Amino acid sequence: MTRVRRSKRWRLLHRVCAILCLSAIQSRAATYYVIVAGLGGEADYEQRFTAAAKDLDKIFRTSEPTGQIYTLVQQQATSSRLKNTLSTIARSARPQDAFVLVLIGHGSFDGSVYKFNLLGPDVDAEEIAEMCNRIASQRQLIVDTSSASGGAIPALRYPGRAIVTATKSGTEKNATVFARYWVEALQDPSADTDKSDSISALEAFTYATKKTATFYESQKRLATEHAVFTDVIGGDPVREAGTGQGYLMSSFTLVRFGDLQQIANNPAKRELLQKKEDLEQKIDTLKYQKAAMDPADYKRQLTAMLLDLAQVQQELDK
Amino acid sequence: MRRRSYWIVLLLAIATPLAAATPNCWVMRRHGQENESRVCFEQLTRNTDAGMRAEGFWGLEEWDSANEQFRIATRSPNGGAETKARWGMLLHERFNDKDASDLFREALAQDSTNVDAYLGLAIVSADNFNGKAMLYVNKALALAPNRAEVHELAARFALENDDRDLAATEADRALALESDALDAISVRAAIELISERQPDTWLTRLQSVNPHYGSGYAQIAHHLELHYRHDDAVAYYRKAIAAEPRLWSAHSDLGIGLMRLGQQEEAQKELELCYSNGYRDAATVNSLRLLDSYKNYVTIRDATTVLKLKKTESDLLHPYLQDELHRIIAAYNKKYAMRISGPVQVEVYPDHEDFAVRTMGMPGLGALGVTFGKVIAMDSPSARKPGDFNWGATLWHEMSHVYVLTATKNHVPRWFTEGLAVHEEGERSAEWSNRATPDVLIAIREKKLLPILKLDRGFVYPQYPSQVVVSYFQAGSICDFIKANWGEPKLLEMVHSYADLKTTQEAIKQNLGLTPEQFDEQYLDWIDKRYSPQASHFDEWREKLKLIAAAAQSQQWDIIINAGPAAIALYPEYISEGNVYGFLAECYREKNDVAAEIRTLAAYEHAGGQDPAMLKRLATLEEQSGSKSAAAETLTRVLYIYPVNDADLHRQLGDLLYEQKSYDKAVLEFGSAIASHPVDRAGTELRLAQAYLAGGHKDQAEESVLAALEIAPNYAPAQKLLLELHQSPNK
Repeated sequence: MTRVRRSKRWRLLHRVCAILCLSAIQSRAATYYVIVAGLGGEADYEQRFTAAAKDLDKIFRTSEPTGQIYTLVQQQATSSRLKNTLSTIARSARPQDAFVLVLIGHGSFDGSVYKFNLLGPDVDAEEIAEMCNRIASQRQLIVDTSSASGGAIPALRYPGRAIVTATKSGTEKNATVFARYWVEALQDPSADTDKSDSISALEAFTYATKKTATFYESQKRLATEHAVFTDVIGGDPVREAGTGQGYLMSSFTLVRFGDLQQIANNPAKRELLQKKEDLEQKIDTLKYQKAAMDPADYKRQLTAMLLDLAQVQQELDK
Repeated sequence: MRRRSYWIVLLLAIATPLAAATPNCWVMRRHGQENESRVCFEQLTRNTDAGMRAEGFWGLEEWDSANEQFRIATRSPNGGAETKARWGMLLHERFNDKDASDLFREALAQDSTNVDAYLGLAIVSADNFNGKAMLYVNKALALAPNRAEVHELAARFALENDDRDLAATEADRALALESDALDAISVRAAIELISERQPDTWLTRLQSVNPHYGSGYAQIAHHLELHYRHDDAVAYYRKAIAAEPRLWSAHSDLGIGLMRLGQQEEAQKELELCYSNGYRDAATVNSLRLLDSYKNYVTIRDATTVLKLKKTESDLLHPYLQDELHRIIAAYNKKYAMRISGPVQVEVYPDHEDFAVRTMGMPGLGALGVTFGKVIAMDSPSARKPGDFNWGATLWHEMSHVYVLTATKNHVPRWFTEGLAVHEEGERSAEWSNRATPDVLIAIREKKLLPILKLDRGFVYPQYPSQVVVSYFQAGSICDFIKANWGEPKLLEMVHSYADLKTTQEAIKQNLGLTPEQFDEQYLDWIDKRYSPQASHFDEWREKLKLIAAAAQSQQWDIIINAGPAAIALYPEYISEGNVYGFLAECYREKNDVAAEIRTLAAYEHAGGQDPAMLKRLATLEEQSGSKSAAAETLTRVLYIYPVNDADLHRQLGDLLYEQKSYDKAVLEFGSAIASHPVDRAGTELRLAQAYLAGGHKDQAEESVLAALEIAPNYAPAQKLLLELHQSPNK
């Protein structure tokens, strides 16, 4: 199977996931966010980590006013406080709710154990995993932006959980810049590459990895961090979607700025919505066949479908 | 590097005390008696003395055995300085200059009068153009004034420095000591060729001593190369190979010379021949690697230009490079009143090491670009840290060489072609003009500028670390001075004088009516008036800069606001890392004084500042304050510095140009944004579609909007545009 074909198939599955996601919205699931700014060690890092955590707090509150958001910075960022917070969520979160944990700071890895640096005792990957495993949410996202965070992946793996780390392994130990671009992704509409009026975890990841790579290229520095993600139980973490990875990430919406929900709740528009979804699937199928098609024929069919879709959207917008 | 050294090995072999015990073998070889010399060397390999055996294996080109025998020899009681010096020469010949230098130094530590060790160090230094070559040769001359080969080496270095009189004198001294001093004969032949005279007498003499002495022709080729005579150099490398087919160093030099002329196929054959025969020095191996990597390059041609760009950045860079080349060609055709026959080839390397291969063995900075006839090789902006490099200035500089070398048929001193090229950068843009760096100010203050007749030496064998940089500045400022006092046309007249084979002395007399001494006096007076305030206050400026940097670290903004403007006034041209403009702008930013920040950053921009981050900040502030055309101009400057890895730059500039109704330019910028692989590809395609449509290109607009919707089918503004395009009367 060629790389293109895998990619196209993935898009079809992505569409299915998007529909599932819509269902989740309709059931009024809640999302729990925990943001932790770890120990900086130096004033500069302290300031940077705290600012990033506060920015994320603000972004999530604006995007999802009903979200449950817990942000631990400076003196609050201790192991016991984190454990208490996650225990609180474990008591209230339901399976249909989503859960997001973002760790910003320094990490360490001694060859077998990953630790996230906090004020007082650090917390290791096993402890983080154990606390998160007690949360009933069947859709979880852990974003560990710390140095050496790749070392946490084996411990954090869990069904229904997507894991993003700033480094590919525990051996990438230099301080990272990934967090800066992860936060930027959730503020920059250009991160919404499929123009769905929302930013998924996958879009944020793609944006942040590209910007991180550009940072190192423009500084003429050897990149000391290579972010990866995994959202399946088996297989190696990856840098881009495909080969079975990326379904959960692409359907895990982090920020919304459109009116998807209002349209979905309007019975008068359900027929149009169905037509729209049919067209979207046809377009995906056509794109899947592109490599084997005559370019002119492909363009003709694509243009016709896109025009139909645009007209349907025009009706929906009335 | 090693290209000039093979003959020296032979030459030294005859004269050294160690080899003096084995004189016949090397002398036989030097006189072309190859069979006899081989028998002689074979006998040596059975000698009881390890040093002798090493010479034997060396003569038979059994390098590892020779090396091993030298190792044994240096451990024996006879293995003194002389053996180490010979071992060093073997290692130099086999491309290991570091260990060779160590051995020469060890030899001198044992015997400070060892002439061969000094000569060895001179050869290694000369190959690296590090400026110490003459120092070592002078020591050797003082110790052994009656050794011909020392004078031969002095002659070679003098000619590399374009001191033809001294080169001739030293060559004649060598010939007076030994009438068959082959390298002295080669230097004499090279002087004739460089001076456009017939070398036949000397070539006949060379052949009469040894008709198979290919190294003699290779030396001539090397000197021709240093005098920009690349075509002629290739012809002489061919003669070297014809005389001595197994002279692999000449095959390698021929291959590299052919690469410089853009003749890759034959270059590859020659280099592969070297490689398969065990001649694998860095230049050969790296050149072969570079040739292999050309499969990753594309060639884009039009009537006057050929661009060779890495596939990964050709879509982005080729429109800018091609446009600028056309602008340059139009400007120089008019200015130099001539046309270049055939296209100019520009090769752009995103990997600096690839570019470095193209400059190996060349003197001067060689850091940004290099010109070989009508072929220019240069770094891509992506090869450098943002702000370190202005590809536009480099292109104007190198293209100036193409015109000047063509107009003078390569008969131009280094200082003049480099000076004119630097001057042309400033003519293109005041912000790209010749700038006095701290090294230059110190050189002015310490009266280190060279007389015009000796200025070439500052480029080839610099006497202090920054002399190459200072020489570029001085050469450029001399051309600025000529323009300021006699007018720009005088520079063209100087070009014509050199084309008529005039010397610098004659060219100055003919065009400016001055002797070189009078010229130096007037120039130094002019430069003094321009730079003495900065030079004399340099230490004061440096102290202020230290104070400001410390204040910035502790965020004491008031100190910077008080001291900054005065520091800038003392040395406004300082725009490199840690410049005062940057500290001051940061300070105003902290204080939310937008007007002052804009003022400071604009002053930095006009002083020639090239930090993309500072310029982009200025553009953003200009845009926010409503000066959108100023913002567009600022971002256009950044295009010449770091147009790569920055989709946002192109998109922002595209938006500004679109707003100003410069739709074609906006199309270029949005296209560049797409070529830069933006995160938001769909959004950028839509902008491109809108720019196309506004510029009246409906078909291209539809292509782009379809590209946007293919990525994001539900992209509402793109859907709207698609519907508009299909509802318009032309559809």
